[in-house]
Amino acid sequence: MKRILPFVMIAVVLGAGLLTAWYLRRTPAESLQPAPAPGASPAATAAVPVEPGAEPAHAQGNANAPVTLEEFGDFECPPCGLIHPILKNLEAEFGPARLRLVFREFPLVPTHVHALAAARASEAAALQGKFWEMHDLIYEHQKDWHEAFDVRPIFEGYAKTIGLDVAQFQRDNTSEIVERRIFLDGKRGHSLGVQGTPTIFLNGREVPFPSLEQDKLRELINAELAARH
Amino acid sequence: MVSELETDRPVGTRRASLLYGVAAVVSLIGLADAIYLTVEHLSGRSVRCTISGCSEVLSSPYATVRGFPLAGVGALAYFVVFSLATLAAFGYRGAGRLVMMLVGAMFLATVWLLYLQAFVIHHFCQYCLLSALVTTTLTVLVFIARRQASKN
Repeated sequence: MKRILPFVMIAVVLGAGLLTAWYLRRTPAESLQPAPAPGASPAATAAVPVEPGAEPAHAQGNANAPVTLEEFGDFECPPCGLIHPILKNLEAEFGPARLRLVFREFPLVPTHVHALAAARASEAAALQGKFWEMHDLIYEHQKDWHEAFDVRPIFEGYAKTIGLDVAQFQRDNTSEIVERRIFLDGKRGHSLGVQGTPTIFLNGREVPFPSLEQDKLRELINAELAARH
Repeated sequence: MVSELETDRPVGTRRASLLYGVAAVVSLIGLADAIYLTVEHLSGRSVRCTISGCSEVLSSPYATVRGFPLAGVGALAYFVVFSLATLAAFGYRGAGRLVMMLVGAMFLATVWLLYLQAFVIHHFCQYCLLSALVTTTLTVLVFIARRQASKN
């Protein structure tokens, strides 16, 4: 009996390990996770009421478009940088009448040291009506500034490129309104259970992370459009 | 005639057997940790940026070996350590030597991974740090067990 006991123990551990891996693997759901509309208090978020976020939200596309993609993004997060061109492609493909894109600030501080500065730069640009121009530049050049020691001169260069009043941009960077908008978007994210970036909601339902690919997102948008016809 | 590994326990003192037993239990912590990280990696969740900083480490090119998650290699290594340590605890002679060689290699790999996290990726992942702690503990346990066994 003593001779076979270690082999029995090894077999038990192997079985338990495989079973655990199988159980953990099947946990992520492929379907859209229902997320509450503002004001609702669903079971998922228990007693936390859903926050509205900064208003007006940064949005592209018609307000009454049948599909809205709301992204919680961090400009320094590499996967957010990867999903940026995907969202641009989908935006061009579906057009503003069918697809509305909303961006929410969700800088992951302190993991990403420049994320807050990037969020501030985009919000400061928004005060001069050029949020999306700055948003695109920051994402497209993520690799250029991500390793920099001081990103402020880089973002000021972007401000100049898109024709902002740079002195005003510098002042707005540290303004109360910019801080407040980032805070409010973060509060909305937390109230919706956002834990990482990018997190995208399609008409209020969270898109599972593995589905954040162009083809899968297109399928989900098409399914949503078909369901609304 | 079971195998050349087997012996009637002249080698292992009780203390060495106990230490191998403890090492087997400790390796289970590493196994659980590595299984979790492997599943995270395969499901894509580790690629998402989170506040913990694990995403930077697990989505880095150092987290895979020819497309296979390094955590998976770790899980396999911990399982083999568990198996060998269990056999050594039950007095299988060659198992003690093999587990020492394997744990030594794992310790060197751990030092390299810690260097990568500190100086190349500039982020630490708490699950990877737990694994480093487990491997270091295993190294100490197995080396003491070998010394105890060789006294006999």
